[in-house]
Amino acid sequence: MLSLLAQLPSLAQETVEEADGAKLIIPDIEELVAGIIAFLIVFVVIWVWVRPHISRMIAHRQETISGRLTEAEQAKAEAAKLLEGYRKQLGDARKEAGDIVEEARRSAESVRSELVERARREAGEITRRAREEATAEKDRAGAEVRDQVASLSLELAQKVVAEALDEHAQQDLVDRFIEEVTEMGE
Amino acid sequence: MTARIDGYAAAVLALARAEGLLGVVVDELYAIGHAFEGSAELRRTLSDIRVPLERKRGVIGELVSGKASALTAALVDLIVATGRATDLSAIADRLAESAAAEENRVVAEVRCAQSLDSATVARLEESLGRATGKDIEVKTVVDPSVIGGIVARVGDVVIDGSLRHRFGQLRDSLAGGADG
Repeated sequence: MLSLLAQLPSLAQETVEEADGAKLIIPDIEELVAGIIAFLIVFVVIWVWVRPHISRMIAHRQETISGRLTEAEQAKAEAAKLLEGYRKQLGDARKEAGDIVEEARRSAESVRSELVERARREAGEITRRAREEATAEKDRAGAEVRDQVASLSLELAQKVVAEALDEHAQQDLVDRFIEEVTEMGE
Repeated sequence: MTARIDGYAAAVLALARAEGLLGVVVDELYAIGHAFEGSAELRRTLSDIRVPLERKRGVIGELVSGKASALTAALVDLIVATGRATDLSAIADRLAESAAAEENRVVAEVRCAQSLDSATVARLEESLGRATGKDIEVKTVVDPSVIGGIVARVGDVVIDGSLRHRFGQLRDSLAGGADG
């Protein structure tokens, strides 16, 4: 390159030195040899010292990237698992909430029906008792009236009989008693 | 209670016999005892501990005087004075039983609405004696609550031929009919 730049003025003289055209393109042998040698030196240096560094760096980088990738993959999988878990939990929670609501509704229903049933039973019981009491009261009143009528009429009868009993009637009763007792002895 | 009545009856029996008035005392005491039994008011007065003893003796003395012999009146006064006025009829019963038992007779207490004549009493003694198989001595008690007829009691046996009993039966059957 440097040599080419150095040769620029000579290019202007192309027409002049037309016979040396090939010479302009093909460098000098020494120059070429020195260039090749320098190149080889640089190449060897690079090949021996730099290349392993670079390849190590690349390998390292690749390793890092692949590690990150794996990590990312793992994280993703984990996130998916977590998400799945959360979804499941959410589902469970929804189901449980539904169950609880259902249970509450059922128990409320059963409590309600039990209360209604008990109220009905109690009402029936009260009605029955009231009816029984009314019947008993009626019977009692009837019996009382009958008793009173019976005892009043008996009292009246006793008075009438006592007044009607004169000495003769009394003596007749006594005589009849004596007859009856005599018959008992026989 | 029974022992006390037995004691009083035995004492009265001994006293009456000593005075030679056994029959009279037995009959009079019996009549008086059952007259007391018939009056609820008299019974209340005699059993009331607030009425002083002197007052009780006065009341009874008044009732007895003129109707009974002096000995009977004295014996009644004695019984009231010792505070046993309420036992009077029981003592009279026991006395009659004891007096009859000495003659191998049994007392029949006969309650009727009016007093019986001696012929009727004799017929009663005969028929009751035949019915019970014992020698009967009838003691009559006038009890208007009998209404009519006779209630005879010999020991524990009661033969009830009274109208009161008939009315009672009628009342029971009416009450029974009302229940049915």
